Amino acid sequence: MAENFAQHSSISAADLDRLTREAQAEATPSTARIIWNEFKADRPALISLFVVVGFILFVMVGALFINTPKMMETNIVDYFNRPLTAGFPLGADAGGRSILLQLIVGSRNSIGIALGLTIISSTFGICWGLISGYFSGYVDWGMQRVYDFMMMLPMTMMIIVLVTIIPHYNAVTLTLIFSIFYWEGTSRLIRSRTLAESGKDYAAASLTSGTNRWKIIFRDIMPNISSLIIVDTTLSFAENIGVETGLSYLGFGLPSQTPSLGTMIANANDPNNITQYWWTWLPAALEIIILCLAISYIGQVLRRAADASQRQGTTD
Amino acid sequence: MSLIEIKDLKVHYPIRSGFWNRVTDSVKAVDGITFNIEAGETYGLVGESGSGKSTTGKSVVGLEKVTSGSILYQGKDITQRRNRQLLDYNRDVQMIFQDSLSSLNPRKRIEDIIAEPLRNFEHLTKDQEKLRVLQLLDIVGLDADALYKYPHQFSGGQRQRIGVARAVATNPKLIIADEPVSALDLSVQAQVLNFMKKIQRGFGISYLFISHDLGVVRHMCTNIAIMNRGRLVEVGTRDDIYNHPLHIYTKRLLAAIPDVNVSERAAHRAMRQRVEQIYQSQQHDYYDESGEAYPLVQVSPTHSVALPPKLAQQLLVQESEAQD
Ligand SMILES: Nc1ncnc2c1ncn2[C@@H]1O[C@H](COP(=O)(O)OP(=O)(O)O)[C@@H](O)[C@H]1O
Ligand SMILES: [Mg+2]
Repeated sequence: MAENFAQHSSISAADLDRLTREAQAEATPSTARIIWNEFKADRPALISLFVVVGFILFVMVGALFINTPKMMETNIVDYFNRPLTAGFPLGADAGGRSILLQLIVGSRNSIGIALGLTIISSTFGICWGLISGYFSGYVDWGMQRVYDFMMMLPMTMMIIVLVTIIPHYNAVTLTLIFSIFYWEGTSRLIRSRTLAESGKDYAAASLTSGTNRWKIIFRDIMPNISSLIIVDTTLSFAENIGVETGLSYLGFGLPSQTPSLGTMIANANDPNNITQYWWTWLPAALEIIILCLAISYIGQVLRRAADASQRQGTTD
Repeated sequence: MSLIEIKDLKVHYPIRSGFWNRVTDSVKAVDGITFNIEAGETYGLVGESGSGKSTTGKSVVGLEKVTSGSILYQGKDITQRRNRQLLDYNRDVQMIFQDSLSSLNPRKRIEDIIAEPLRNFEHLTKDQEKLRVLQLLDIVGLDADALYKYPHQFSGGQRQRIGVARAVATNPKLIIADEPVSALDLSVQAQVLNFMKKIQRGFGISYLFISHDLGVVRHMCTNIAIMNRGRLVEVGTRDDIYNHPLHIYTKRLLAAIPDVNVSERAAHRAMRQRVEQIYQSQQHDYYDESGEAYPLVQVSPTHSVALPPKLAQQLLVQESEAQD
C-alpha cells in the first residue's frame, strides 16, 4: 500500500529531511511562546504576573521560617504596637502578635487552601462537564440529576454543619469539604460548551479516524474549550480566596489559632479596631483586593492567548 | 456483490416533550431507503436540504445510530458497533465533510490531522508516517510547509483538500463526500472535484457523493438517487435522471441547476417558473395522502421511480413519445 502512495506522489523518503526542515521554518509558534508574547504586550498583566507569582513564592517560602505556635503566643507587653516600631514593621494586634508574621503565615494558609480548592474542584467540574456533555443521553441525564441535587443543598449551611461535626479538622480536610460544594458551577459551564463543541464535525472526523471516545473528549474537545477553562479557573481561584476568608471571618473556617487572611480581617469586627487600630485588618484586606485584581488581569491575558482572534502580542 | 448494500434504512429522531420528557413524536430523517454502491463508482445522492442526505451519509460511515434496516459491508451489518470494530470498518470507509473549517480541529496541526487515521489504523514508524503525510499533501496539491500550520491559516479550498487527504490516508474503499464543494467558490469547486477524481482513478475508490445540486453531480456520478423527505423518489443512471426524469421532484431539481449561459438566462427562468407551476398543481399526484413518497417501482432495468405503477407507466410512455 505504501508503494501505492509513492506511485501517485513525487515525494520519496529521500526528500523527508529537507521537507521537514522547510516546514519547521514555516511553523507557527508554540503555545508557551504565544502566551509569553501576550504578557509582554500587556504591561499591567506582566506586572500582575510578577506580583502574584513573586508573592505566592515569598509567603510559601517565608512561612517555612516562622514558628507559628510561638508567633501566636499572647504577649501583653506589645499590645497594639503601632506599625514601624522595633520588631513590628506592621504593628501588633490585641494579643501583641506581629501582624507581618501573621500576614505571611495567613496568606500561605489562605492561598494554599484556595489553590487546593481550585485544583480539586475545577478538575472535577471540568471532567464532569466534559463527560456529561459529550455522552448525551442517559449518561448526561443521570449526571445532570446529581448536579441538580448538589445545587439544591444550601452550600454555606452544609459547610458550617460539616465543619462543626468534624472534631479535628485542618487545612486539608477543610479544602476537601469545600471541594464537595464548589465544582457544580464549573461543570455546568463546561457542559454547555462541550455540547456545542461535540456537535462540530471535527469530533465526528476523529471518531471516523478511529480515535477512542475518551481521547476525543480530553485531547480534541478539551483543548478547544481551553480558553473557557483558563478563564473559569483563574476566576475561580480569585473567588476561592474569598471562600475560605469569608468562612474564617465568620468563625467557621480555620481555627483561630491558625492565622488566615479571614481571621485577620475578622479583627475589623471590633469598632475600636476599625477606627483606632486600623493596622490590624487593613493589610489583609488590601492584600486580598490586590491579589484578586492581579489574578483577573492574568486571566484576561491567558484568555487572549488561547483565543487566536483576540491576540495583541505579535506572533510572527 | 456490491461494495456496500443499504437495505430499508430508517433513522428517526425522537421528539421529547412534556413533564416526563417522554417520546411524543419523531422526525423521520431517513425513512426506508435501499441502494447499493459498486466498487469504483461514484454514486450520487441528491435532494434539497433537509431531505436526509447527511443523515444517510453519517449512517453509512457509522456516525449515526440507525432506527432500523441494515448496511452490509463484506457480508456484515455495520450498523452494529461490534461489527464495525471487528472489520476496522473506518479504515475502509471514510468521510469528507461539508464545512471544511469545522471538520478540522482548530487546535491541531495539519500533520496531526492527516496522521490521525494512520496512527489508529496503521502502525507506521515516525518517518514512514511523516512521509505518508507529505505524500498525501502532495497528492492534493499542497506544499510541505503546510505540515506544521493550523487549519485557520488556509483558504476554504485548501482546507477541503486537507479533508480529502485525511479521508484518503488509509487508502479506503469508500469515501462519503457530504456536499464537499457546496461551501466553496465556483472556481475552487472544480479544482477540488478534479483532485477527487484524480484520486479516484489512482486508488480505485468509490464515492457516495452527496449534493443538493444536480449540476455538480453530473460530472461526477454514474448512478444517481434523488432523495426527498427521507425517501428515494427516483433512482437511475446519469442518462435516466438527466434525460428521462419521471418524478416531478427530479424535474424541479433539474430546473434549479444554475444556468451559466448569460444569453439564455431569461428563457431558463421562464422554464424554471413553468416547472414550479406544474410542481405546485400536480404535487398531490406524486405523493400519497400523508404527503410521503410512494414506494419505488422499476420502469427499466436501471431506472426506478416512486410512483403508483399505473402513473409510472403512463409517464414513461409520455416521456418516450416526447423523445421521438
Ligand atoms: N440530531 C438531530 N435531531 C433531530 N432532528 C435532526 C437531527 N439531525 C437531523 N435532523 C433532521 O433530519 C432531517 C434531515 O437532516 P439532514 O440529514 O441533515 O438533511 P440534509 O443533509 O439532506 O440537508 C432534517 O429535517 C433535520 O432537521
Ligand atoms: Mg446536509
